[in-house]
Amino acid sequence: MSNYLQSLPSIAPEIAMTVLLCAVLVVDLLLKGRDSRKVGYLTLGGLGVVAWLLLGQWGELGSAGAAKRVFGMIDIDRFSTFFKLFTVGSLAAVVLFVLLDRRERRHGIGEYYLLLLGAGLGIFFMVSTSNLLLLMLGLELLSLASYSLAGFHKGDKRSAEAAMKYVVFGGLSAGVMLYGISLLYGITGTIDLTEMASGPHSLAAQFSSGPVPVAVAIVLVLAGFAYKVSVVPFHFWTPDVYEGAPTPVTSFLAVASKAAGFAALLRFVGKLFLVDGADGAVQQYGARIGALLAILSALTMTLGNLAALRQSSMKRMLAYSSIAHAGYVLMGMATMESSGWNAAMFYLAAYYLMNLGAFGFVLYFESVTGSDDIASLKGLGAKALWVTVPMVVFLVSLTGLPPTVGFTGKYMLFVAGVDNGLLWLSLVMALNSVVSLFYYFRIVKALFLAEPAERSMPGQSALAGSIFVLAVLTVLFGLYIAPLQAWCDASVESLRLGAG
Amino acid sequence: MQEHILSWITFLPLIGMAAILCVPRTNTGLIKAISLAATGIPFVLATWLYFDLFDKSSANLQFVQRLDWITSLGAYYYVGVDGLSLALVWLTTLLLFIAVPASFGIEKSQKSYYALLMLLEVGIIGVFVALDYFLFYVYWEVMLLPMYFLIGIWGGPRREYAAIKFFLYTLAGSVLMLVAIVALRLQAGTFSIPELMALAQSGAMDGSKLPGGGELLGMGFQTWVFWFLFVGFAIKVPVFPFHTWLPDAHVQAPTPISVILAGILLKLGGYGMLRACFPIVPDAFRANTYVLGILGVISIVYGAYVALGQSDFKRMVAYSSVSHMGYVLLGMAALTEWGMTGAALQMFNHGTSAAVLFLVVGVIYDRAHHRDLNGFGGISQVMPKYWALTTWGFFAALGLPTQAGFVSEAMTLLGAYQSADTRFQALVVISLIGIVLTAAFLLWAMQRVFLGTLNAKYKDYGDMNAREVFCQAPFLALCLILGVFPWLLTDWMAPTIKLVVGTLSKSA
Repeated sequence: MSNYLQSLPSIAPEIAMTVLLCAVLVVDLLLKGRDSRKVGYLTLGGLGVVAWLLLGQWGELGSAGAAKRVFGMIDIDRFSTFFKLFTVGSLAAVVLFVLLDRRERRHGIGEYYLLLLGAGLGIFFMVSTSNLLLLMLGLELLSLASYSLAGFHKGDKRSAEAAMKYVVFGGLSAGVMLYGISLLYGITGTIDLTEMASGPHSLAAQFSSGPVPVAVAIVLVLAGFAYKVSVVPFHFWTPDVYEGAPTPVTSFLAVASKAAGFAALLRFVGKLFLVDGADGAVQQYGARIGALLAILSALTMTLGNLAALRQSSMKRMLAYSSIAHAGYVLMGMATMESSGWNAAMFYLAAYYLMNLGAFGFVLYFESVTGSDDIASLKGLGAKALWVTVPMVVFLVSLTGLPPTVGFTGKYMLFVAGVDNGLLWLSLVMALNSVVSLFYYFRIVKALFLAEPAERSMPGQSALAGSIFVLAVLTVLFGLYIAPLQAWCDASVESLRLGAG
Repeated sequence: MQEHILSWITFLPLIGMAAILCVPRTNTGLIKAISLAATGIPFVLATWLYFDLFDKSSANLQFVQRLDWITSLGAYYYVGVDGLSLALVWLTTLLLFIAVPASFGIEKSQKSYYALLMLLEVGIIGVFVALDYFLFYVYWEVMLLPMYFLIGIWGGPRREYAAIKFFLYTLAGSVLMLVAIVALRLQAGTFSIPELMALAQSGAMDGSKLPGGGELLGMGFQTWVFWFLFVGFAIKVPVFPFHTWLPDAHVQAPTPISVILAGILLKLGGYGMLRACFPIVPDAFRANTYVLGILGVISIVYGAYVALGQSDFKRMVAYSSVSHMGYVLLGMAALTEWGMTGAALQMFNHGTSAAVLFLVVGVIYDRAHHRDLNGFGGISQVMPKYWALTTWGFFAALGLPTQAGFVSEAMTLLGAYQSADTRFQALVVISLIGIVLTAAFLLWAMQRVFLGTLNAKYKDYGDMNAREVFCQAPFLALCLILGVFPWLLTDWMAPTIKLVVGTLSKSA
């Protein structure tokens, strides 16, 4: 018992999240659904506290040997704190988006925040466990909250359709993943990744004696992750859900949820294969996973970019673009080396910044023009320069041009690829960047190159301000990357040396 | 100040841009004044640097500055100039300075226009002074965005198409470059261009530090790195068959932007080859000089031949650029001191003569609002000053003796003829066709526009005004001065060129 009590401070951020979640529920009930904005402010404040706790934890984890496992299943290390911090950051941005969404009702939407916090809590557990059962629970908590969020606008047919598609695909993939996990359990007799990697019945040992069951199990689990991060061929739900869901929710799905999927995927693959002093069997076996990831990466980035070319809706376009970016991150993973994983982490951080910004922009214009069609932006570039110029920055960054964080990230991926025998994949990625320029710049073209439009743009200074800040960060981290890179390196390092 | 002069020249326009952004958009007078100052001061500094501060007897890099930048990636803020880049820096500052008054006719969103123009100058000068490959690449890409907007917002009717085509072509080239740069960095452990050159001399560029010996699709390390870098630069030059973006971009761009595009942006390609491609992978370069020579000659002849068939004045001038830039490639590929000097001169001289030609087109377009060569006639009767200056410009462009183009083209061809590879002699003979064709399309255009009976529509046209003359005068003067005193350039370049040719021709 005392052991449990001693471990409690380690999960203070999770506890704070849960308390906040309950507080939001109670306050919303007390307000009887009136003025949900107050609930929003409460959520923002609470997230601030969680962020403060997480930053404290990050500092404590700096000393050697500070990483630990509590309750036998939650890993407290810099890797998970890194993702939790980003989750809190993006949750705060999404809450802000909801508060600033002019079309959103002011009353009776308290559960919006509740669901977002629930999804966030799911992510917290998902990114910090090596226990496949807890991972699955975290994933399901995230998924259930996300389904409801996607269908939050009950009256809107597209929103309802999005939720339905999401549930069906999500349910299917969760089933597939769970089946894979049960096979892994059957093969190794454990659901803990660390034990799977090193125990007497380790996966590597089982793989040398009979590769087929192990390969099937791994592929099934990977399929579940692939669905979460929309990797080809499990990406079909992405454009429809992104398009139909309310824009703040879309930004949550595209940013926080996707990154959480990557975090879990990184931990899964990392614990099993990225082991220091791994023997020949693990290496050989890791190389095959690397090859599989490389092929998936090439397919995902190419298909995502080609499909994005034909989209007229910004949200659909960003959905396909997010598929392409998942391919880029996979390339870093496919190297199966620390340098590539650092690059993948860095790219995820870059992805957070530029996609949050881009969705903020979509929200800004959607609330004025009532549509997320690229054509509806025609000639509006000069009407709201505080938002449109940052959007150019985000698009430049998404394309991967300097001096932005997207370029630095892409550069690091190139280095990792070329250095680890994935020269061909670097080349595929380079050519993909050219393709992506074409569709990203359709937005720039509509904004600036068309004749200026007559209509006026009502200002929304708070939203514009947050978009502007994101743009400044996008450029800043492109020119001065040292801090961000240090965080990423420390995180991947902790994954290798993690507790247990 | 003196030791940081290159940074001042590079970033003064950026300060100008920041200042412009603070001025209310209605105060166009102040915006123009700031633009003149922000381009004028770098021009003065560059002139001071060229004639006074720079030690022209040395082949070393001068005014070098090396500061930590992104240390974790090994990127430095590393700048410096030698005889080769200095002349082009000077030309850039001059062209941008002239581009400001040449833009006074533009009415649409002037604030953004001048702000972007300033940003463009930062990118261009940055490429010429950068000695760190990472920095070089950043500047190389920074240039694209302002250019996209300058063509796309202020261009002609098909500007949207031209702008994105320019952007896509250049980006396609530069992502290939980026992969090559990454491979070089991993092989050599440095981004420093001088260090990379030194390593190439010692035979260290063999891909041994990369998995699988750095092979790609069966090509050796140097071979694919060479072709990736070469294609990246060749698109910019542009070398046949990578030239198809150029006529569209030129025709759609507003006059001052066409001037910058032809005058400077194309030189970035040639300069890049000479600084950041050939000396770094010399073995692959030596193995392919004849292919490059052939591409150069095709550009010369094909560019001139297609120019002959154009009825759009600006399109004709655009193709003439393809032809003239072909000499640059031919001269470099010959691998002789004469050929290399000719190529470097030709880059500079095409900068001045192409600027004149585009300004000439701009003058008539501002009045007639069309550029159909067959739609004019007899303009010499109403615009005698214009006719005189145009004649001068055309003669400079077709390489008449006493004009700068003559010196550089002659040196290029003689240099190519001297090449150790005797196959170049045949190339020289073929490229003579290009000279004839160039004379033909220029003289024919002159005849159609200026001679014959005066088209009654144009009888009220006023002659060139003082601003238009002011914009053309420095370039015409340079054509003449450098035609008579080419040593004003060659003396500065000679030590550097000697060094480059020396390092390129001896195998490691």
